[in-house]
Amino acid sequence: MKKWLSITLGIVTATGGFLDAGTIATSGESGARFGLGLIWACLIATVAIILLVEMMGRFSAISKKTYAEAIRENFGFKFYLLPLLSEVIAESILLAAEIGGIAIALSLMTGISWRILFPPAAFLVFAMAWRAPFDWIENAPALLGLVTLSFIVGIIALGGPSHQLLSTLWKPEVKQGELADYLYLVAATLGATISPYLLYFYSSGAREEHWTSSSLLLNRVTAIVGMSFGSLGSIALIFLGAMVLQPLNMQGSSLGELGLSMAKALGPFGALLFAVALFATCLGAALEVVLGVSYNIAQGFGWEWGEDKKPVEAARFNLVLIIFLLVAVAIGLMGIDPLQLALAGSTVIALFLPISLFPFLVLMNDPQYLRDKTNGRFSNIAIICILLIAFVVAFVSIPLEILSGGG
Amino acid sequence: MPITDDQIFSIRDIIDSQLETREKRRIGRVSDIEAIWQEDGTLVLSSLVIGPQALAGRIASPLRSIVRFVLRDRFDHGIPLDDVEDFGPTLRLRGSAADYPVGQSDAWIANHILRWIPGSGH
Repeated sequence: MKKWLSITLGIVTATGGFLDAGTIATSGESGARFGLGLIWACLIATVAIILLVEMMGRFSAISKKTYAEAIRENFGFKFYLLPLLSEVIAESILLAAEIGGIAIALSLMTGISWRILFPPAAFLVFAMAWRAPFDWIENAPALLGLVTLSFIVGIIALGGPSHQLLSTLWKPEVKQGELADYLYLVAATLGATISPYLLYFYSSGAREEHWTSSSLLLNRVTAIVGMSFGSLGSIALIFLGAMVLQPLNMQGSSLGELGLSMAKALGPFGALLFAVALFATCLGAALEVVLGVSYNIAQGFGWEWGEDKKPVEAARFNLVLIIFLLVAVAIGLMGIDPLQLALAGSTVIALFLPISLFPFLVLMNDPQYLRDKTNGRFSNIAIICILLIAFVVAFVSIPLEILSGGG
Repeated sequence: MPITDDQIFSIRDIIDSQLETREKRRIGRVSDIEAIWQEDGTLVLSSLVIGPQALAGRIASPLRSIVRFVLRDRFDHGIPLDDVEDFGPTLRLRGSAADYPVGQSDAWIANHILRWIPGSGH
């Protein structure tokens, strides 16, 4: 009974925790600008994250090591610096976007400028990361994040997509001069969904919760069912953007603007649901990002770590957490719109994906860590292909986007 | 007594390994090792080194001297090999965290920085 309860909780938290500022920004803007023409990117990113989350849980449950520990021990310090630096650069931008997302959600609820609400939002993230126990951080925002499923209700309330719109699923309308923006959004969609921070967090979570080989069923069900349900929220947002914002010629270029689609569908209550969903998903993701990076550094350098410990018992881990949060706050206070930050952060993540995750594939094929539970050929090939697509698209789109002056 | 396979370690098994104290506190990872030439011509591993200079040297040799010039040996510390009680995936030390300068880092940060933040558990 207890096993099924934890499986249900795992699915619910994965579903509610799937979205974040990056996925909301990319989905909303994709729908507003290219109809349903980027759902394919969302689907292949979902396949990748299902495979990677399952692998990460299996790795930590069998090897009793986290990913960061294994990279340092297996590949040495010099190599470890590559995924570490790429992670720190990309995630600091993304963390600023997540905190901005919380501030915008609070702004939608209160009418106060999000810039004023940015410092309190950062403080809320700090307070929870500082003292909340691990299961709180993992479950509370994710449970509230189930509100994202109301996006599907919004689509139904709007009467569903038209036949003309549905045709953009397989025939994306990319007008002349928009190719750079289209590719940039493909890269951002892949980077937003295949987030290494989620994997560092998940791998550390498996150790915090003392997973063993008997946790593999829980791990597999959480990865497949939870992530699939979670991606529904992302796909629903693309639909909403395409159905509401595109006909109004709105670009979906701010998080607040994306809320209009829910307001059109369900009235003021819809706008409130969007604000709650934005708040919960960005809070959950901000905590996962800040902890993911702190776990990575503490484990890589061999320091005491653990969210269930008092801060003084894992002092260097908590000091990293504070410094990283301060860096993100400094980036956020530059005043760049969180949606643009989220897009930029997600695209940089896509660019770094091979550096972040190829070492993981090597580890997943090492019987020293996985015994008889190493990867099958399908998983290896699928992940290599998706990571290469993400890298190539990001590599091509970033210079194009800069040259064209940004979306 | 013949040496078994379990008792043979390569440098790769030791470097980057987790260091854990008697009370199971994780204090760091082995950054580098020091060895000395004995009079009989054999090379003997003498101590484990932990610190930023040693790490910088592993990225590129010239970096070690640059970091040394800046930090002046303040943060690099050695642990005699005799202090390692158990070799394995984790190197278990005989002493407690307070016995090693690198193990005192957490206490220093807790006492000088984190204690001023409410809820730190200090």
